[in-house]
Amino acid sequence: MSSTTNRSAARRAYGRYAVRRLAQAVAVVLLAYVFTFLVISVLPGDPVSNVLRDPQNNFSEQEIARIVAYYGLDQPIWVQLVEALSRFVVGDLGVSLRSNLPVSGLLADVLPSTLRLAGAALAVALVLAFAIAFGVRNLPAPLARPLRAFPSLFLSVPNFLIGLVLIQWFSFQLGLFLVIDAESLLATFFAAVALGIPVSAQIAEVLIANLDHEARQEYAAVARSRGLGRARLFTAHLLKPSSLPVVTVVALTVGELLGGSLITETIFGRNGVGNLVQRSVATQDLPVLQAVVALAAVVFVVVNLVADLVYPLLDPRVRLDASPARTKEVSA
Amino acid sequence: MTIPRSPRRLRAGRAATATAGLLATLMVAAGCSAGGTQSQAGGEPQEGGDLVFLIDSLGPTWVPNNSSISSFQGHIWGHLTDKLVYVDENGTVSPWVAESWDQNEDATQFTLKLKDGVTFSDGSPVDAAAVVANLDIWARGDVERGINPIGLFPKTYVSAEALDDLTVQVDFVAPTLGFIPTLGYHGSILISPETLAAPAEEQADLANDIGSGPFVVESWTEGDEVVLKKRDDYDWAPEALDHDGPAYLDTLTYKVVAEPSVRTAAVQSGQAQVAYNPSPQELEFYGEQGFTVAAPRYLGFVNGYAINTQVAPFDDVRVRQALQVGIDRDEILSTVYTDDWLPAASFIQSNVPGATDHSDALVHDPEAAAALLDEAGWVEGSDGVRTKDGQRLSFTLHPNPYLATSQAVDELVAQQLAELGFDVDIQAYDVITFGERVSFANPSIPTYEVTRSFIDAGTVAGVLTDAENGENWFNVGQSDPTLTELAQDVATATTTEERDPVLDELQGYVLDRAYFVPLTQIAQRLYLQSPDVQGVTYNGVAYANYYTAWLAE
Repeated sequence: MSSTTNRSAARRAYGRYAVRRLAQAVAVVLLAYVFTFLVISVLPGDPVSNVLRDPQNNFSEQEIARIVAYYGLDQPIWVQLVEALSRFVVGDLGVSLRSNLPVSGLLADVLPSTLRLAGAALAVALVLAFAIAFGVRNLPAPLARPLRAFPSLFLSVPNFLIGLVLIQWFSFQLGLFLVIDAESLLATFFAAVALGIPVSAQIAEVLIANLDHEARQEYAAVARSRGLGRARLFTAHLLKPSSLPVVTVVALTVGELLGGSLITETIFGRNGVGNLVQRSVATQDLPVLQAVVALAAVVFVVVNLVADLVYPLLDPRVRLDASPARTKEVSA
Repeated sequence: MTIPRSPRRLRAGRAATATAGLLATLMVAAGCSAGGTQSQAGGEPQEGGDLVFLIDSLGPTWVPNNSSISSFQGHIWGHLTDKLVYVDENGTVSPWVAESWDQNEDATQFTLKLKDGVTFSDGSPVDAAAVVANLDIWARGDVERGINPIGLFPKTYVSAEALDDLTVQVDFVAPTLGFIPTLGYHGSILISPETLAAPAEEQADLANDIGSGPFVVESWTEGDEVVLKKRDDYDWAPEALDHDGPAYLDTLTYKVVAEPSVRTAAVQSGQAQVAYNPSPQELEFYGEQGFTVAAPRYLGFVNGYAINTQVAPFDDVRVRQALQVGIDRDEILSTVYTDDWLPAASFIQSNVPGATDHSDALVHDPEAAAALLDEAGWVEGSDGVRTKDGQRLSFTLHPNPYLATSQAVDELVAQQLAELGFDVDIQAYDVITFGERVSFANPSIPTYEVTRSFIDAGTVAGVLTDAENGENWFNVGQSDPTLTELAQDVATATTTEERDPVLDELQGYVLDRAYFVPLTQIAQRLYLQSPDVQGVTYNGVAYANYYTAWLAE
């Protein structure tokens, strides 16, 4: 086989692969949307009459029925589902049942805060993880050994506790930031520290394990035998191959950072996606929940796709060749 | 490779609530020195300053009709808007936008005279036409546009008419003595007719909602914060507030901080001036630290049980009466609450005009209770529970999910009644399930735990029987002629002088027949406040008003 046919075959395979991945992605997002609808629909009550039934409101059942009809919640479930889906496919996320505001506007309100927090937390996590890994490999044993315990320690301290302690010290005692100005630079930084610490543990664990593995390889022994110092060996030889699996971990934790920030947002009084979800879950605000789940599905799909695409760039041994089995291995 | 740890996260979330309490104690202990500075009250009001109010939530929608009575949004509406009349914490009605009013002899027609020169913040006048538009939307809503009616507005409303620019005539199908006080209720906020005509989606954006109050919206973010700034040309405050012209404060910020211990610690460290709904356990400590704790009472029913008289064992009046004197209300106050709560003296709060003192009927008397049960044929068995004809003396309490202390109170009541030979079961539901399963006159619900505010004692007439679509709280229908007649007389009274003696008789009768078993008076809205905040007033529904407030530095 000549190399040109080989290359065009690979390109065709890649095309098929890309189309399949894209179709999968769309299916995942749609299924997430429908699944959310079904799960919320089986819960008793609906968001509108739940609020109206508060005895303070003093509404009769007839009045409640008329109001519920305005929101279309008296329709059979499948009619509501078809309506929601036909809106969704043309990009209309609908109107929140709780706030009467367009869902797209509500998302636009909270996304920047969550993106800032998640981005900063990821940066904190990466810096911490690489610092710990560097220390473990380069510090003298009496210091390096306890450092190895840090990831497990970070994982076992709940982050709301870290958050409350940070607020207590840095806001209430030292006055470095105000809890009522949650989006300020320092407030965001400390929230990112609270959220980033547990995430750094996951990255550090993977990084340390891989560094240990690489350090046992022949090339490392050769480098050491040629008199290379610890720090030089670390930066010049061990770090790059050990960082590869970190990409996969980061891809997984991005989802966690976006979705798992609820507690941090609540403690730090930040108005992010997590808080919007909390408000919406408490009131069964279906259109908002469906939009957030669909958004989360999009984020996961995109991040995983990007990780798959970045992988071959970091490691020339990984190639998207014609065999689907091979590509699956890579993406896993 | 590490697996995402979401299950652990979920558990941590639940633990967060429990541990937050612990941490609150830590924070309190750590911050003692900082909070110790006590500036003493008094002095001349000072202009300027920014007040930050930390609140647990900003509630759901901002469509004015759908949110005005919310325990959260009500705070903001109270500053953005005015009402036709003012009702103070003693239920006294006084002029506001309505300068004076008249009623016809049978209280079916009212005429309101409006104050001249009142304007909405967009410059349009608060005139008779605007008031008519508001009355119509409170009474009927516009459900086809997603605007709910105000549930507590008198259902006897027929129509309103502008007689001239400043005179409004309002007609009812039946005597409606409660109309004027209802105009001071938190639901009756005056909104510009232009806003009222807009679709729900536009009204849901707070920035579009135009009122005539002492503050206007500067900025807001859904679920996060509302910043209000004072209106410089405001000059029509109720006389009862003893302050003219614009507010002292420059801005008023309502900021959501969901975690109660962070709210109180932020006030303690001086980052905010007021924390809403601090946990009752923290109040004593902060009080000792020099912080102001306010627990104003609202006008309404006391917290207590409406008894279903058709369900055994409460179909026997003697068992109900045993319950009435078998509960030790002083023990509830000293165990569950602090000194800020008052004992019940009737089934309506004692600050309601027309409420009379019936505390004699509510004195704890276990001997009398035991005698009543003996007389009714309930005999104590070997396990301490009384039985009659093979039936055990048992029933179920459903704590009211809208009142945080309800379950603790019910547990104590269950203990107290166990000593008398009752077997009391407690079944707690969340808000949604409670709404679906627990209702008045429901054959499987022996007691309904009431907490409800109202502004006029006439409301009482609508809950006692099933006449005129009444709520039939005690499931007696119209089978008790005395009750039916008393309710009818309260509903149709045309003056308060005529109504008050009937109300007094009614309260005595309902308590004597033990249709309603009161527990304690309610202080549902709690405020923890920096000592720098002076001059706060509280209205009849216990909302704090910062129009009169100022900051001492």
